[in-house]
Amino acid sequence: MEESGKRRFAAIMLAVAGLAYFFLAARPLSKALVLEPRWAHALDAAPALAAPTAAGAPSATKTQSALRLDFGAGSGIPYRIAGRYGYFDPESGPVFAAPEGFGVALSPGAYIAYDRLPESLELRAPDGTVAQRIAEPGYPFFAAGRLFLLAPGQCAVSELDSDGRVLWSRGFSSVITAFSASPALAVFGLMDGQIVGIGRGGEELLAFSPGGSRIAGIYGCAVSADGSLVAAISGIDRQRLVVLERRSSAYRVTYHRWLESDFRRSVAMAFTEDGRYLFYEAPTGLGIYNCDARREALLAAEPLSSLGAYAPERDLLLALERGQATTRLVAASPEGRRLYTAPFAAADAFLVRRGDALFLGVAESADSASILRLDFKEE
Amino acid sequence: MKPRRAGWRITACLAAAVGGFPCASPLSALEWPLDEPRPAATFGTPARGRLLSGLLLAADAGLVRSIGDGELVYHRDGGSSTDVSPFPSTLGSFAIVEHERGIAALYAGLAPGSVSSYLNKTRAESILGGVGSSGWIEGRGLFLALFDRPAARWVNPLLLLPALPDRTPPLIRSAALVREGKSYALGETKSLPQGEYLVALDLFDPLDASWSVGTSAPYYVRLVVDGAKVAELRYDVLLAREGRLVLFPEAAVDRASYLLPDGRAALTRLFFRRGRAVIEALVRDYAGNERKTSWSVLVE
Repeated sequence: MEESGKRRFAAIMLAVAGLAYFFLAARPLSKALVLEPRWAHALDAAPALAAPTAAGAPSATKTQSALRLDFGAGSGIPYRIAGRYGYFDPESGPVFAAPEGFGVALSPGAYIAYDRLPESLELRAPDGTVAQRIAEPGYPFFAAGRLFLLAPGQCAVSELDSDGRVLWSRGFSSVITAFSASPALAVFGLMDGQIVGIGRGGEELLAFSPGGSRIAGIYGCAVSADGSLVAAISGIDRQRLVVLERRSSAYRVTYHRWLESDFRRSVAMAFTEDGRYLFYEAPTGLGIYNCDARREALLAAEPLSSLGAYAPERDLLLALERGQATTRLVAASPEGRRLYTAPFAAADAFLVRRGDALFLGVAESADSASILRLDFKEE
Repeated sequence: MKPRRAGWRITACLAAAVGGFPCASPLSALEWPLDEPRPAATFGTPARGRLLSGLLLAADAGLVRSIGDGELVYHRDGGSSTDVSPFPSTLGSFAIVEHERGIAALYAGLAPGSVSSYLNKTRAESILGGVGSSGWIEGRGLFLALFDRPAARWVNPLLLLPALPDRTPPLIRSAALVREGKSYALGETKSLPQGEYLVALDLFDPLDASWSVGTSAPYYVRLVVDGAKVAELRYDVLLAREGRLVLFPEAAVDRASYLLPDGRAALTRLFFRRGRAVIEALVRDYAGNERKTSWSVLVE
């Protein structure tokens, strides 16, 4: 009897312990991350108000010479898809859609549509207002909230301010084949294998030739947002990935690897905004370089439409993969592990991330394009 | 045109260019990229926004062929889905082919979508693309430029390509001495005050093309004052120095210092002392056609 009492006591204690564990040590199941559609708008329905031509201001276009633009700031997000360009508002959708002529340079705070041989360039606010006319010859492009002008011949570049004045000009020894910019550093890759970094005032901050390949050349380059890291893909036979880091007064090579690739065209590469990762185009997907660990990974994929976007708070990489018949939205870890794939039909597409909002541009044809907003949500 | 391989000829011509004398009879190590090459602008011509680092060739249609055996090392094609560049291309659709002895040939302004991006090794006359007018090229045709990698400079393609028939000598349309914004036209001015003047010539090499750009540069200019050679310029190489693209490496002349606002070439700055000054200018194109003119002016 005493024995059975002990057993009963033990059984009760076990049950109590089990209950205690159940209540005290309980942890909620991890939530699933889902993308919730917020809105979708066809570009055909977007206003064409600002469809300004490159050749000249249409009669409806306002001109305001005193307007000063901040190229990097603006409530709208610029887009280009299926021969159209414009801005969309993150909350309400497309602001306008205009047919793309020969070329258009877009930034959150300004844009320039231009012809093949423009007499002058019209710097416009996102609402179409002409802020400045630029007489300097060349093709404009924005990067890191800065406006650059590529001279005819592709061997010289200028940076312009919001008044259209030239801040600095620089002639290079050979053709520019790669470019990247941060707010403080503009990096140019040249056909002859040089990487040249120019500071805000036009001063040369970096001059480096990776070398080591049978034929020199720079096929891609990237600079981190704070300008402390510069990366390049250089040379032919063999091609090489080089990462440089700013040390007190100069840039030093901190990582390099011979690649299997044999690109003979420009290669897409970019650092994440926080500078933790470098993403670069690889023949079999997306190369991922972890800047802290100095370690590489590969996201195996078909050719990518773009390098996509990185969500640092979720440590998630998002990219668009171009398949034979479909385009796929791919979510992956920075270690290259594919987590999610969503196929959709598109001849052209773009992907932009702002916080927890994902904007997907989808064009099945030149006449049928739309923009969708998808929000990350935990369920 | 049959390909002829002679690497030493390239070297000899480059050495000749460096040495400062033109190849009197061009050695054709390479071949023209178009069946009927018609220069629309010559090397060193000041065009809008740049000094031409190569030749503009006019053509309505046709194929662009490799000027020799080589290797396609870079291409960019506006009509291709692989164009991922974050910056535009003022060269339009273009290809760069590496030839012997470190000569890289740039073929620009090709028809979008026509670039033979699948090529790796190229043979002389391999098709690189179609004639076009993509990018910042002022007419339909091709922009051809040759980069000398070892010397890091652009070389006048006429130094390396077969001679073209040309019997028209270049023109000296006007000459003037310029000081403090005032221009004294030579031939019209009888006398002028003593002082330092900029010698400005309006030079023009007439070309047989359906369109042209700017005032086509000759190949050679010599300026003699009172029997002494004061300037001798060859339009043979263009290179980057201190962040500027310059012609005539000895004089390091960039576009801004070479060109007056009215388009005349500023050849040299010279002090004219009292007395009669005799100024002689000789201008020659690459085919060897010459024009020589002299003026006399009284310096008071």
